[in-house]
Amino acid sequence: MSFSNSFFRLATITCCVAALSLAAGINMPSGKVELKSAGALAMGPDGILFVGDSVGGAIVALDVDDRTPSKSDASLEIKGINEKIAAMLGTAADQILIQDVVVNPISKNVYIAVSRGRGADAIPVLLRAAPGGKLTEVSLASIKHMSVALLDQPQQDRQRMETITQLKYVDGKVLIAGLSNEEFSSSLRSIPFPFQTASKGTGIEIWHGSHGRFETQAPVRTFVPYEIKGEKAILAAYTCTPLVRIPVSELKAGNKVKGTTIAELGNRNKPIDMIVYAKGGKHYILMANSSRGVMKLTADNLETYQPITKQTETTGVPYETIASLKGVQHLDKYDDATALVLMGDAGSLDLRTVPLP
Amino acid sequence: MLAALLLLAAIQWDGGVFRISGWEAATEPPAGWSSIFSVYAGPGNVPPLLGTYSLESSSLVFRPRFPLSPGMHVHAVFQPPDGPRVESTFDIPAAVPLAATTRVSQVYPSAGVLPANALKLYVYFSAPMRKGGSWKHLHLLRDGVPVEYPFLELDQELWDRDQRRFTVLFDPGRIKRGLASLAEAGPALEEGHNYTLVIDRNWKDGRGAMLAEEFRKEFRVAAADRTPPDPKKWRLTVPRAGSAADLVIRFPKPLDYALLQHEIEVSAVTGKVSVERDETQWRFTPDHPWPAGTYTIVIRTTLEDLAGNHINRPFDVDTFDPITRTVATETVTLPLRIR
Repeated sequence: MSFSNSFFRLATITCCVAALSLAAGINMPSGKVELKSAGALAMGPDGILFVGDSVGGAIVALDVDDRTPSKSDASLEIKGINEKIAAMLGTAADQILIQDVVVNPISKNVYIAVSRGRGADAIPVLLRAAPGGKLTEVSLASIKHMSVALLDQPQQDRQRMETITQLKYVDGKVLIAGLSNEEFSSSLRSIPFPFQTASKGTGIEIWHGSHGRFETQAPVRTFVPYEIKGEKAILAAYTCTPLVRIPVSELKAGNKVKGTTIAELGNRNKPIDMIVYAKGGKHYILMANSSRGVMKLTADNLETYQPITKQTETTGVPYETIASLKGVQHLDKYDDATALVLMGDAGSLDLRTVPLP
Repeated sequence: MLAALLLLAAIQWDGGVFRISGWEAATEPPAGWSSIFSVYAGPGNVPPLLGTYSLESSSLVFRPRFPLSPGMHVHAVFQPPDGPRVESTFDIPAAVPLAATTRVSQVYPSAGVLPANALKLYVYFSAPMRKGGSWKHLHLLRDGVPVEYPFLELDQELWDRDQRRFTVLFDPGRIKRGLASLAEAGPALEEGHNYTLVIDRNWKDGRGAMLAEEFRKEFRVAAADRTPPDPKKWRLTVPRAGSAADLVIRFPKPLDYALLQHEIEVSAVTGKVSVERDETQWRFTPDHPWPAGTYTIVIRTTLEDLAGNHINRPFDVDTFDPITRTVATETVTLPLRIR
């Protein structure tokens, strides 16, 4: 019987053989990357793509060598992208899952994490969609990379697993939200990047306080970095739907953090992705939900919203639902005026840019 | 005439690769082999198959990056720089119809009574299942009437690595006290009512076959449980020194089946764990006979009951209590004397 626990482990570095390079000023050895799965994606500095491998229990940083700035009027529309990807992979559209999409803000290339197959033998594939719509595979045969293991021996326990639900790179750290298939607890992790040998992927416990009297350690589902009056914070959406503000300065390994609940968004909201943007001198949050569509929230003066303290309040930050954006499965910021959405229904999905509402 | 026909290029599909016969490949065109030879899988305007090109005995060969799925219709186009365009279609043989043999082997908690604030279900299958779109196959009936959205329908489904166990969370927003969603939709589970969990046959297994049969689990709902499990109230059956008898711990209420597999251990003793009596009993079979001595039973505080109450900490806590703990691996212990 082994103590094969859970969130708060030593993280170990797994790298390949030397051949050190100076990609983007970060030493990353070149070699083959073998992902067990590809889920949540995030863009880091200078074209570094972070891939959440839940089955392999690791975060992999890939230098996708993508640092050429795009033209200013870049846009993207790929209709039936799931059918197109399936055709490239030699299978039917119902045999693939698009796990996440992320925009490289430099080049406006879009990275897509795909699962070819839906069984336990599914193969992860990373694709790149260029602004014109051309799809290519990101080859992992020889690529500068670095990875950090979230578990000591992720393959040993076949049953216990943590699904990485969101990744973001903020100020030299990779923030990771995960959801265990056994424990119900908050497990945001903060790992400095470049990953250091023997760095600790230690968890942070977050309680969203000032919210009625009763609190849980509910897991963070998705989050977005945001600056409030010069203070860097993340806005985190929980599995039980409140929107919580947490100062980034508090997100230190091993810390226990008390966040402030600023909005409760009602039942059936299952937040997927959030972006923050400015329009007409005002700040907004755009949030994709699996049930209630895309919600636009006012983000100005977030710091002035009083924490929700009564049990029955449903207000807090005001929001509206964007009727034109139905069936949005993933959302990312494309540029200052445009969002990237993966949306659709009846089995056919489109990947396209839309003006920020 | 005959000689001319023999010289015509043709596309062959054999052993999973596409080969151009009757055309001698020399140097790769500036725009790559894909500019003259591409294979398309699927209807409509789709990009070509991913794959690699090679020259084998002067023949141009295309190897798809992945094996083509059964039942695919494939269209190959070869446009030599110096000859007529050649197009061929190939039908990848369809898979033989699959027998529906996979079934739900167990659902935990196994008890027939659940607390109104029950948090989790584990659905075990007899074979690996297919990921994605699982929620539509899970239904909850209250006194025979469907309950709307009782579960936390995560897009990133909580499977184990072998996709044989599916973790289902009741929507915590409808459990946790003080949330708007609870007022809006009410709790999914209400004390005094009878419920049926229905898993329909249309859920596909990893091979794409339906389940052998529908699965139903009936249960009654009792009062909410907001009391953390207390190891001081557990009853131990202690083996004798020199025997290889089991150490048995009885709990006054059921605990989480999955967490019981690994959240309790006996210091420095290896053995096998089994969970019995509707998750109210933990049995430890040592690998070797017990030497006399003093041992420690170590219990991680992450161990939960059916309502997500941890050891020493309820599912939802009163925030007027100070939160002073730091994150650490926390355990409680019970002494064990073997004589």
